Amino acid sequence: MQRSMRLPFGRAASLAGKRSRKRWTASKVREALSAYGFLAPYLIILGIFTVIATAYAFYLSFFYVDFGFTQPIFYGFTNYQHIWYDLTHNGTFLTGILNVARYTLVTVVLQTSLALALALLINQNVRGRSFFRTAFYLPALTSSVAISLIFIWLFNKEGAFNYILSLIGIQGTDWLGNPSTALWAIASLNIWTTAPTFMLVYLAALQDIPDTLIEAARMDGATGREILFHIILPLLRPTTFVVVALGTIGGFQLFDQVFVMEGASGGPLNSTLTPVLQIVNTAFKDSLMGMACAEAVVLFIVIFTFTILQKRLIDTNIEY
Amino acid sequence: MATTAAAQGSVDATAVAKTSERQPLRPGRVGIYIVLILYSVFSLGPFLYAVIASFETYGQVLTTPPTFIPNPFTIGNYHEIFTNPDFYFLNYIANSMIYALGAAFFNVILGAMAGYAFGRMEFPFKNVLFALTLAVMMIPSYLIMVPKFLVADDLGLVNSLAALVVPAMVSPTSVFLMTQFLKTLPRELEESAVIDGASRLRIFWQIILPLIRPAMTAVGLFAFQGAWNDFLWPLLVMSSQNKYTLTVGLTFFKGLHYTQYNLLLAGATLNILPLVILFFIFQRYFIRGVSTAGLAGR
Repeated sequence: MQRSMRLPFGRAASLAGKRSRKRWTASKVREALSAYGFLAPYLIILGIFTVIATAYAFYLSFFYVDFGFTQPIFYGFTNYQHIWYDLTHNGTFLTGILNVARYTLVTVVLQTSLALALALLINQNVRGRSFFRTAFYLPALTSSVAISLIFIWLFNKEGAFNYILSLIGIQGTDWLGNPSTALWAIASLNIWTTAPTFMLVYLAALQDIPDTLIEAARMDGATGREILFHIILPLLRPTTFVVVALGTIGGFQLFDQVFVMEGASGGPLNSTLTPVLQIVNTAFKDSLMGMACAEAVVLFIVIFTFTILQKRLIDTNIEY
Repeated sequence: MATTAAAQGSVDATAVAKTSERQPLRPGRVGIYIVLILYSVFSLGPFLYAVIASFETYGQVLTTPPTFIPNPFTIGNYHEIFTNPDFYFLNYIANSMIYALGAAFFNVILGAMAGYAFGRMEFPFKNVLFALTLAVMMIPSYLIMVPKFLVADDLGLVNSLAALVVPAMVSPTSVFLMTQFLKTLPRELEESAVIDGASRLRIFWQIILPLIRPAMTAVGLFAFQGAWNDFLWPLLVMSSQNKYTLTVGLTFFKGLHYTQYNLLLAGATLNILPLVILFFIFQRYFIRGVSTAGLAGR
């Protein structure tokens, strides 16, 4: 009896609620206006420097834009045809893409493993946990320029790095001047600076794994190794996807370190030439703004494709 | 989304709970400590070595085997970079400070304003605009670098500090972090004030802002760090040497023919120092912020 009384009443109330939500009362208009007032600075800045700029980038990629001298000339797909020719004829843009692809493969694998290993170690209820977290995070805090400058000095032929190698009987080389080592010297310092950030992400994810789950597995007689490989790592998969995807996106955008350590020309035998370096050179050295936008669009497509593939491969759903 | 913000607070609580239940030292655990200590040396070593060497003379910086005690101890490198008229070092520091403090200040205020609207108000197109905020966080800087430069040029900003500060005034990331934080505050907070007829601006200023200090600190720190460490954008928009930021100016310490490593290390130390100081004061905000932003990506 009571239930049947309540039902229509509740429905009526919810209908009234819906009706009032649609109606424009004076207070709602006032709230909307003040909301837009609060949002205005953000929307203006975002609109001009990001939204319009993004649309402009795609638009300009179909033009010949000679900075400051002539009006943009419609070019159709000419810029893209140039890039296609470069990619199919072993051009410098291809060299750049291949450089960062190799670089990204190595850095992502190593920095992800390192980040996970450090997070698992720190998560072992160690004493001085916050000291280690802080000490490990310092390379991630500082600017890429300062770190690059320090490593120019450490990697120099008479530098500390080669001295340490000489102690264990290895003859070092001029790491940054040698075409077969330059990119890998830069990769090693970037693994060192990027891993700590991802370590923090893994640490936060490890905290989210319920202790009861691990306890239950241990009660069932699972060994530490089984718990790691069959419980912890599968549960960390979504985090691993984020870490791998962010690492890939960052790796393909390599610029600061190669510019500071090797200069704008792309290092010994173009071994540290990267797509972003080329976009900067195309736009600001050759003054081909439209072409630079087309190169940026192509790079964007390449990175986007890799991210989608990784999403498919790594981020599969897990049943608890 | 709301759960990530809620988890934000609990992360440190569980961390404390876990460290308190200490385990006795077993051989396996000794191994863990050895690895952790070795990695600490690996992580901090290059910085300590660079800072020590910044007090050495040019000759000593390059000696092998490396020396870890400056002999003679000299502040000559610091004196030189500040006084050598070729470097404009004071300008670099001032420009970087203006950029970083400007970015931090505006991100805190404008980010809190936008976060207040998204987190606590109802208005048409709210969901569309919030989705746009999330989507825009994915747009890479290199894609918009050239048009952003052309826009800055059209607005007459190029080669002025405004070219650095204006585009960096509010980032979607700041708005996102503020929104998540503001959503977690209880509704009742401003209800009575609304009934009393207080204006939204007054509520924001007198009730909301004092309550969101932790989020403001985190947003301010990240904006400061981003601007202070930024290299590509200042490199593109600043054409005269006295307008360079510290990161851009420092690259000129690497000479074409030979590099004055001693000056370079002193400059790098001064670039690192402010962030290290901020980090030691506001550690937990940094660590929590990185964890939240990373986990939000899931």
